[in-house]
Order: sequence, then structure tokens, then C-alpha cells
Amino acid sequence: MEVSVIGNPQARICRAELAYRELGFRFGSDVISGESRNRVSFCNQSSKWKEIAIRCSSRSVKCEAIVSDDAHPFLNSAPKSKSLESVKLFVGLPLDTVSDCNNVNHLKAITAGLKALKLLGVEGIELPIFWGVVEKEAAGRYEWSGYLAVAEIVKKVGLKLHASLSFHGSKHPEIGLPDWVAKIGEAESGIYFTDRYGQQYKDCLSFAVDDVPVLHGKTPMEVYRGFCDSFKSAFSDYMGNTITGITLGLGPDGELKYPSHQHNAKLSGAGEFQCYDKHMLSALKGYAESTGNPLWGLGGPHDAPAYDQQPNSSSFFSDGGSWESQYGDFFLSWYSSLLTSHADRVLSVASSAFSGIEVPLCGKLPLLHQWHKLRSRPSELTAGFYSSNGQDRYEAIAEIFAKNSCRMMIPGMDLSDEHQSPESLSSPESLVAHIKTSCKKQGVVVSGQNSSTPVPGGFERIVENLKDENVGIDLFTYQRMGALFFSPEHFHAFTVFVRNLSQFELSSDDHATEVEAETVSIGSGTGAPSLQTA
Amino acid sequence: MSTVPIESLLHHSHLRQNSKIYRGTRSFFIPCSLNLPSHFTSNKLLHSIRTSVGASSKHRRSVAIRASSPDTAVVETAQSDDVIFKENFPVQRIEKAEGKIYVRLKQVKENNWELSVGSSIPGKWILHWGVSYVGDTGSEWDQPPEDMRPPGSIAIKDYAIETPLKKLSEGDSFFEVAINLNLDSSVAALNFVLKDEETGAWYQHKGRDFKVPLVDDVPDNGNLIGAKKGFGAIGQLANIPLEQDKSSGEVQKKSESSSDSTKERKGLQEFYEEMPISKRVADDNSVSVTARKCSETSKNIVSIETDLPGDVTVHWGVCKNGSKKWEIPSEPYPEDTSLFKNKALRTRLQRKDDGSGSFGLFSLDGKLEGLCFVLKLNENTWLNYRGEDFYVPFLTSSSSVVETEATEAAQVSKHSKKTDKEVSASGFTDEIITEIRNLANDIHSHKNQKTNVKEVHENILQEIEKLAAEAYSIFRSTTPSFSEESILEAEAEKPDIKISSGTGSGFEILCQGFNWESNKSGRWYLELQEKADELASLGFTVLWLPPPTESVSPEGYMPKDLYNLNSRYGTIDELKDTVKKFHKVGIKVLGDAVLNHRCAHFKNQNGVWNLFGGRLNWDDRAIVADDPHFQGRGNKSSGDNFHAAPNIDHSQDFVRKDIKEWLCWMMEEVGYDGWRLDFVRGFWGGYVKDYMDASKPYFAVGEYWDSLSYTYGEMDYNQDAHRQRIVDWINATSGAAGAFDVTTKGILHTALQKCEYWRLSDPKGKPPGVVGWWPSRAVTFIENHDTGSTQGHWRFPEGKEMQGYAYILTHPGTPAVFFDHIFSDYHPEIAALLSLRNRQKLHCRSEVNIDKSERDVYAAIIDEKVAMKIGPGHYEPPNGSKNWSVAVEGRDYKVWETS
Repeated sequence: MEVSVIGNPQARICRAELAYRELGFRFGSDVISGESRNRVSFCNQSSKWKEIAIRCSSRSVKCEAIVSDDAHPFLNSAPKSKSLESVKLFVGLPLDTVSDCNNVNHLKAITAGLKALKLLGVEGIELPIFWGVVEKEAAGRYEWSGYLAVAEIVKKVGLKLHASLSFHGSKHPEIGLPDWVAKIGEAESGIYFTDRYGQQYKDCLSFAVDDVPVLHGKTPMEVYRGFCDSFKSAFSDYMGNTITGITLGLGPDGELKYPSHQHNAKLSGAGEFQCYDKHMLSALKGYAESTGNPLWGLGGPHDAPAYDQQPNSSSFFSDGGSWESQYGDFFLSWYSSLLTSHADRVLSVASSAFSGIEVPLCGKLPLLHQWHKLRSRPSELTAGFYSSNGQDRYEAIAEIFAKNSCRMMIPGMDLSDEHQSPESLSSPESLVAHIKTSCKKQGVVVSGQNSSTPVPGGFERIVENLKDENVGIDLFTYQRMGALFFSPEHFHAFTVFVRNLSQFELSSDDHATEVEAETVSIGSGTGAPSLQTA
Repeated sequence: MSTVPIESLLHHSHLRQNSKIYRGTRSFFIPCSLNLPSHFTSNKLLHSIRTSVGASSKHRRSVAIRASSPDTAVVETAQSDDVIFKENFPVQRIEKAEGKIYVRLKQVKENNWELSVGSSIPGKWILHWGVSYVGDTGSEWDQPPEDMRPPGSIAIKDYAIETPLKKLSEGDSFFEVAINLNLDSSVAALNFVLKDEETGAWYQHKGRDFKVPLVDDVPDNGNLIGAKKGFGAIGQLANIPLEQDKSSGEVQKKSESSSDSTKERKGLQEFYEEMPISKRVADDNSVSVTARKCSETSKNIVSIETDLPGDVTVHWGVCKNGSKKWEIPSEPYPEDTSLFKNKALRTRLQRKDDGSGSFGLFSLDGKLEGLCFVLKLNENTWLNYRGEDFYVPFLTSSSSVVETEATEAAQVSKHSKKTDKEVSASGFTDEIITEIRNLANDIHSHKNQKTNVKEVHENILQEIEKLAAEAYSIFRSTTPSFSEESILEAEAEKPDIKISSGTGSGFEILCQGFNWESNKSGRWYLELQEKADELASLGFTVLWLPPPTESVSPEGYMPKDLYNLNSRYGTIDELKDTVKKFHKVGIKVLGDAVLNHRCAHFKNQNGVWNLFGGRLNWDDRAIVADDPHFQGRGNKSSGDNFHAAPNIDHSQDFVRKDIKEWLCWMMEEVGYDGWRLDFVRGFWGGYVKDYMDASKPYFAVGEYWDSLSYTYGEMDYNQDAHRQRIVDWINATSGAAGAFDVTTKGILHTALQKCEYWRLSDPKGKPPGVVGWWPSRAVTFIENHDTGSTQGHWRFPEGKEMQGYAYILTHPGTPAVFFDHIFSDYHPEIAALLSLRNRQKLHCRSEVNIDKSERDVYAAIIDEKVAMKIGPGHYEPPNGSKNWSVAVEGRDYKVWETS
């Protein structure tokens, strides 16, 4: 390994790069062309760069003069707004931190990484804990050793720990549900979500079996309860001091949703309804009969598009399509009610399991921003977010969170509208704003998260989201540690981001910031005229 | 023996001559419900504007009449109205026709069956179809045999046929096409989609092609038709088996008595299936909207009119406070208005008297910011504008002022910037450069300020960077595929004498110890032994020996029994002797390991050569699944396929275990020190890392050879993509192996041949090949047994070889010299360059400074102690403190060293 030689020269390069970024922002593209010859950076740097420059300048046209506003996150030059200082920053550990056999993967890397983050002033670490790892062998046999080892490292380094209890599996890296559950799934059909082609989604149990004793005579809720209890006693030494938060897995990918988008295509379709497992179908049938429309209970919508088809390719989601009809209201209300009640069940199980411990609980929502601009919002409908009579579909969910005094985690805070492909009719910004407002109305505390892969302009967007005075976000989890995270380019950008949350540990830095501010303001004076015409 | 695998290949290629991956049309499927006018001609546009202008004057007249109506909103029209918004929106109305598509399979007699596909909706229906043959894997289509094609069929590329559907009879609305199927052919399934040429719409089955299986084992991807399983969706499709009982019995009997080719067809049953379709026909219409501000009442008056036929309802709301959220305005509302779910208003437009459309007038409060609306034609038909609501912005009195000011300000600033620039253009750029410098220093280290605090600060930052770098390197080594990061490492690398399998000591010079003809004598190992002393004295440190295993081809690249090391180059004992001999003179020896493919010993039951013998008696699970010629049962290949022999599936644990064992055995038994890895494009570099970790070679280099990029036959200056692919591979091996720098060879070709020496510096002033990005892992060469020798697949420009060697033997990277060149007239010159490289201790991470890269000359200074130039142009190393003396000189090249 050629480790030791890497450090310094690399960092120097990044610094230089950062300087360009700032200047580019203020001076427009003239600088780029003039200077690019001398730049020591990578092959595609200039293109990425240009994006930033363009993005900023276009915004500057829209808004007031940004430079004098000191709002740009990379200009560390103004007294920061209070809200930013109160944001606690967490970083997620790799999903495969603990292996199947309860070994800690990349132990050395994680230790080094944690130290670096601690020095940087990060508050804590998010640790994904998988059901399929802990209760792998047999029902009720919990093996916490791997995760306990991680908790101990985190404690020693002096960071906080946010535990995410994951009742789902993951594709990359491959972590399944517990072996014994998978065995049941093979023997008995219908415990998994199933689409209309009969394909099962084997990384999460269907919402319809929540209270059905399918797991060796126990209901999944009882099994989850056992898991929570075991977690509580195994980590009792850490509760409240090291562990400062627990997220409950609410569905596929830990998010409260149906697995309606299973193909991770760049521009995905509307998604598909997942109501074709045995239990779902019989629930639907019962519901249809009870509402006097037995014929509606024979299956899901027949005219919904396939996974990767555009929403408009069939009539369900089109304007005036089935979703707006009486049938649509019937089906979607039922479909979403299962989602809501699932959230309620899991959160109540958790809040009773963890009662008496002063650790806030948390649940995560998906950010279904694709097709948001369509009236039907197909992505939200197939994932189970719907509300009839024009009520706010997120408020009902927020109400459940409020009832269980649970925080809500909203992902995708790094996504900005302008970086979405226009064909997807997507609007992550307005959706985030919408969910935040719904939470505010119900008094639910909001935590933020980014999407798992870095996106252009992501850090700026996160800062904007965190600065939103309207809905205070006091906790942000950045996903996720790994090779990419620590790659020189990315880690540097992350460092700058952390500094901008003014969590830099060195309190003596304050004075220096002022000095720095002076230097920068000279620069901004020069930059201002060119900005307005940019 | 040697012809056998090729034979099997030929057998298949005959069958598949015309096969090609079916890719064309699939990506073009356009959903048939576009409600946007994506194409209207400019003529049409002009026309519609004209009409709308004409119509609006007509319409203003009628306004006056309506205005007196007492129970509706009063509409003021004054001469002084300012038109504040005027737009003609083209819209497309979609009419829906519903019907069905049906597919019927029926038996005509014996092995003759008939498949008919039809539609009940009129249209220009085309059946776009192809077949799959028995044994095909994947989703490729092939053209059907000639005798299956109905008259009027047109071949599309070489994978599909288009056959038009015909009206069953005059007066009948059904369209149909029938295809005769002869089950004696080897057709396994029929694939089709239905196309309506009128609308350009394609009709698929569950998002995929329709697939009618004719044998039992056609893989079901959910798109089979007529399969026994039926359809997943409930109530979606009518599934009406016709005469099922009778036919199945009959077919059963027939198939029992029929020949082999139909053995697998016993499940074939007649069926009839239909599925509903709807076809949408679009009509172009327009909506024109005019908004005026009435100066007297300060109300906004919006008129909407359209040529859409029938009742048109405007579903609308107003916008306040800068949001585009729909709100309900205060009353009064226009005539025929109702409130919809408290969310919007619905106003039915008045029909025009001449029946050419309808119109409506909306009088709204002057303080509102805009009007949003969509149009509703009937319960199921709504129209919007390009996926969004129609939006009519109003100018409020305050906003208009603001906007004017803003525009003025912008103009002023534009002006002032321009002057700025003119006045001090040069000063400006200077200032920017200074700024960059200051900021770069400033970001992390506020130097000269409060030194103590700064030092602490700086130390912590360094610590963070160090830790992050450590975490990075460990994470990275366990994560496959990375791109740019490696480049950084390259730039950060410093010389060290640590031995690593990717670099050896860092001071290695390779000799390729054979050419394409070396197998001819049958005693190459012995011949090579005699040269050992000479090669050592020339300064080579590593020798690359030819592939040692039993091979179907004499050169050794078609290995068969990996544990049989008697080859055309000599016996295993001669090989061992040779290795010993070279070790004695201090030269390490690389074995040529062919891991991508292996020739089989036996045929399987289908007559395909895919069963191995010898000590590694693998079966077809060891062969990748995506090379149809060898019917592998492994996983898909993790790389490209080499088509002449079965490609080994390295994702199989047993395969990897066996290969690791074999490599270790070769090390132990023969005494090899490392590897030259053949055709590593064929499998993932991560496996190579695995093999290197297991066998712990002293040095390893992989052959990742693909084509450089050319535009119109001229080589591109920028070959970053090419070298990136090689760097990616090295990265996947975690740097456990180097790779031949094919990029550098390619660029040298063009630079030397066309006298374009400027190509030898990339935009960043670094060498343009792999050696510029990751020098320690680049094995530079100008020729090998494939490119040169008697094969000459890609021969270095003749007569310019010494320029090539002057380049690679002075530059970083690990140079490799080809056997033929050593023992040629170039011998003395190569010897001189080798001796210079060793004398000056140039190594794989030496630093190059390119001093000149012009049309006819390239010059560089390496590690500040060696200067070189190639090309006919003139160059002298700079006179300075250094004292340059000429070390080697030849045709169009010159090398200096400091004394």
C-alpha cells in the first residue's frame, strides 16, 4: 500500500481546486479559460467546474446579488445564521460495516475515518443494523457482537451513535432478510411484496402480514418487538450517552414505502403497485366487499403502466385517468391506508419498546420526486402516498409520527430541481418543502439526509435546506462512508461543507475567520459587477 | 485435435450468420398518448396565429353584447386597455379508440401450425417480428426462414421482418396476418410487436415483445403468450383456450410419433388470446389567450378562446403572492361557473355562433398575479400545456415598476462591466491570478496570522488529511472500479524501493524473450538459455517467457491442460533449466499465463466442446454463459469474450481456487517470479488481484489491448478514454499488476509516422499515455509478438523503432524491449540506451518535464539528469547550471545526460 505518500500533495491539489471554484463563481467563465492550462487536476474537472459556474450565475440572475449577501456556502465570510450552528452532523457507516458472520469489515479504515471525522467536528455516526445479520440463524437468536464492537469504537473516538434498525435487506451490498425468514418465504408464498407479474420483492415483508402469525407462529410485529427489546438490553450501556438516536426501518430501503421502483434506471417509470401477494389481495377483496364494490376487489388497477414505462403510456395516471375516478380513490385509499397503518404499528412497537429511554426515535420517508409535476404524482401513488378529498397526503403520515413522538427523516436534501432531467418532471425541492411543511403543521421534528450518491451542487443545496428558517432541521446525516467518501476530491468538498456548518472544532478559529472575511470581501468587491451580468 | 473447437464454432456461425443483437427499435417506443404537439410545421403555426387574431376581433364584438347581462360579472371594455399578455397555445386533443389485439395459434395439420395476429381497430398495422432458434440465449432476434415469411414481408436489418396486416374482408373491421409455422424447423419462439404506422405507436406485451414459445423451455420473462401458466395480472386479459381438450390430446399423440426436432414441443397447444388496446388519435387545436388591463377599473380581463370542438370547460384558479398555487378568487364569476371541490372554478366556455369553437371572458381583480387553468373536454379528457397548467401572468402595478427598475439596473451594470473590462483588461486578469493564489493559501492556512493557533490548526488539518487518506486507501482496496482517484496517486507517488507486484523494484527493464516463430524449432528454451549472459549484461532485469502449457495452437495461446508444461517451446525440464539459468544471471522470469480461455477436451451431449480434462476437469459451469458457442452454464462474463475458445467464468469459486492453486504450483514447480497475463480484457481485474494475492508474484503485467479513438480515420489527440480504460483495469487489480501501455504505443505510431510530435504532450503537459497518469503501473513497449514479428497486426512505423526506444527507455514506466529488436541492427543503440537508463537510475516513477512538443520535435528532461529529443527538428537542452553531454545519438533522436 502506498498510503503514507498520498496525504500532502493531494490535499494541496484540492485546495487549489477549491480556490478556482470560488473564483469561478464570482468571475464567470473568463477565468476558467484563462487559467485552465495551469490547473493541476483531473481530466474531467473542467466540465464539472463549468456546471458550478453556470449554476451559480443563473441563480444570481434570479435572486439578488449573492456575493454581498454572503450566502454562498463556500464563502466562509459572514456571521452564519444561528440555525446552521445548531445542526448536528452525522455520517453514515457503510452498509456492510458488519458482515454476515458478525465481523467488522474494513475495521482499520473505519477507525481512521472516525478519527478524521471527529477531528473535523462531526457530531456522530449512523450505523445501519440489519435484522438479517443479527437474527440471522434462528428466530430469537440475536448476535450483536459485531455491532457492539463498532459501538465501542465509536464511543472511544468520542462520537455519538445513531442506530438504524433495518428490517429490510439490501442489494448492494447483498444483505438479505434472516435466513430463517427466507426459508419461510420459500415454503410459504405471500409473505413478500408481490407485483402483478407475480415477482416477489424478497428484501422486505409485505405490510399485509404485519399482524399475521407467519413467522413460526409469531407476527412480524412481535418479532420486531423482540428485536428492539434485545437491542435495548444489548446496548444498554450505550443508550443515552453514545446512542443518541434510533431509526426504525419502515419498509424497503428502510423507507416508508412500497417497493414500487425496483429497477434503478436513471429515468424510471411510474413504478408498479405491489398489492399482489396473497394477503394483500385478500385484504383488498374484503375491503371491496365491505364498501359494496366486490368487483373492485379482484385485483389491482388493470391499466397501470409497467415499471419502466412512462406514466402517460397507459390511462391510469393520465389526467382524468382511473386514479381520479371513484375506483381510483377506492383503491388508492386502501393501498395507502396499509402504508399508514404499517408506520403506526412499527412506531408504536418501537416507542413502547424504547419507553423509559431518553433516546429519540426516528422514521424515514422516501423522496419520490419523480413525476412530481404531473397532477397524478404517479411515483407517490405507487409507493403508497395518497389521500382522498384533496387532503395533504403527507400530513396524515406526519400525524402518525407525531402520535408516536417520532422524528421524521427526509432524504434527498442534496437534490435540486435544475439537476433533474427535465423529462422526469421531477421536483425534489418542492417535495422536500412540502413534506417539511406537513411536519411543521403536526409538530414533527425533521431530520435531513442526502441521497446516497453525490450529485452536482449537492452540498450547496444541503446548506440551503438546513438554513431554511421555516422548518428547523437540527440533525443531518450524510450518507455514506466508503472509498468514494474519503476520495481526496470528495472528502475535501465535505470538509468545506462541515466548516460551513460552523462546527469546526477549533474554537480559536473564530478570530481567524474574521481575518479571512476581510480578504474575501476584497475579492467580492471586484467580483460584484461581473456577477450581475453573468 | 486443434481443429475441433474451431469446427464447433463454424457449425454455429452458420446458423447465426444473420444474427445481431436486436437493439434498434426498442428504445424508440413512444407511448401512444402524447398530448403535446411535438411537431407542427411552421406553416401550421402561422396559420393558427392568423386565425386566432382574426377570431379575437370577432370575439370582442360579442363581448359588448354579453357585458350587459345582469347576472354575470360585469366586463368592462375600454379603449385604453393595455394588452398585457397574448399567447396562442397549440394543444393536441387526443381521441381514443378502443379495441383489441388477438393472437391465435392453431394447428393446420401435423407439423404445420398457423399463428395469426389481428387487431379490431382500423389502422396501418404492421407486424414487426423475428424468431429465436433453439439454443439461442438472450433476447436477440433472428430473421425467420424464408418459407415462414408471408408475401409482402420486408426484411428490416438482419434481425426482423415487417409484414403488413390485411383486412380480413371488405366491410370487416378486423385486420389480420397469418404466419405458417413449420415445426420441423429449429424455430423455438416467435417474437413480435405490433406497429401502427398511422400513429407511429408500438404495441408491446407487458412492456416487452410478444413472445410465442414453440418449445417448452423458452425462458419466461413474463412476456410469453399462450404459455400454460397464463397471465399474472388478474382480469387483464381474456384467456380463451379453444378446443383445448381435443387439441392437446391430439398434439400429444403427434409429438410422440414425430421426429427428434419436435420432441420438445409436446407442450404446444392451440390457443387464442386477446388483449384490449386503445389507440389515440391526435388533433391539433389551439387556445389563444389575451389578457388586458383595464385602466379605469384596474381589473385584468382575460379572454380565452379556442377552436376545440364541443363543450369546453375551463378549470381555473388564480395566483397570489408569488406562488403558482391555485386559489379561488372572490366573486363575481363569469357565467356558467361552478366551484369544484373548493380547489378550483369551472367555467364552461360559450360556443361561438358559427360553431367553430368557443370562448370565454374572465374579469379578475387587478391585484392578482396570474391565472392558472387547464381545459376539460369531457370526463376523461383534459388538456394542459406541455405537461403544465396554462399560466397567464398579470402585471401588478408594483411589479411592473420593479421590473423596469431591474432591467435598467441590469443594463447599467452591463454597461459598467463592459467599461471595466475595456479599461483594465490586463489588470483584471492579473488581479484574478493573485486572488487565486491568496485564496488557495487562505482556505486552510491563514498564514502569518496568529502563528501559534495556525500551527495547531494546520497540524490538525494535516492529521485529518492523513487519516482520510488512510481510510481511503483501505476502502478503495476493497471496493472495485475506480477512475480518477488513481491518477492522484500517480501524481503523489514517490520513488521507493519497496517491491510490489505491480512494479517490481521500480527499476525493472523487461525483455520479451520470444516472437511468433519461436515455437518452430521445438527447442526454444534451450536456444534462449544460450542468450542468458548476453541479456543480463545488456541490463535486462526481467524476462518474459512464452506460454508454457499444452496448447491447441503451437504458439501456446490456446491452452488445454494447464498442468501439462510440455509445449512446442520445449519440455517442462528444459523450461525449469532455463528459469534456473536466468536466475543465475540475475534475471527474474515471467510466465505467460492465459487465464481468459481454455480449450476443452470433450464434447457434451449436444456435441459442443465444453468439458475439460486433465487435472482441472471442469465442466460447463466453468464457462461463461454469454458466449453462445460453448453453452456455458457459468455466470455472464465479467469482461469481453474471446470467441475462439470457451471463456472461463472467474466468478466461480471453484475456478478461482483451481487457478490460484495452478499459479502457485507454477511458481513452485517452474520457479517463475511473476506473470504476463494474456487478454485480461476478458475478466474483471478484481479477480486478477485475487490471483496476485495468492501467488505473490515479484512482477506482473496484464495485456489490456483495445482500440484507440479515431475520428474520420485520424487519430484523436485526446486518448484519455483509452488510457482510462487501462487505468480502470489496473485499479480493479488494486495496482497488483501493471498493464502494457497500449496508448503510448498508439500515439507514438501517429506522432512518428505523420511527423506530429505535438501529440506527445497531453493538455496538462504530461505524457499522453498511461505513463502520464500512472507511470508506476505502465509497461511501455513498442512491439510484441502480436503487433510485430511475423503477424504484424499493428506494426511500429518501420525504421523509426529507435525513436520509440529512445522514448520509452528514457521515460518513466517499466520499458519492455522486443526480442527481435535486440537481436537486430539496433543492438548497439538499444544497448547504449539500456546502459544509460541503468547508469542514471531512471525508474518507473521518474519525473518527466516536457520541454518541447512541436510538429517536428519532442524533447523532455527526465529527473533533471537525462534529456532526450526525438523527431527531425532541432533541440538542445537548456544551458544552465547543468553540464549536458550526448549519451546516445541516432537517426532523428538524441539523448543527453548530466555528467
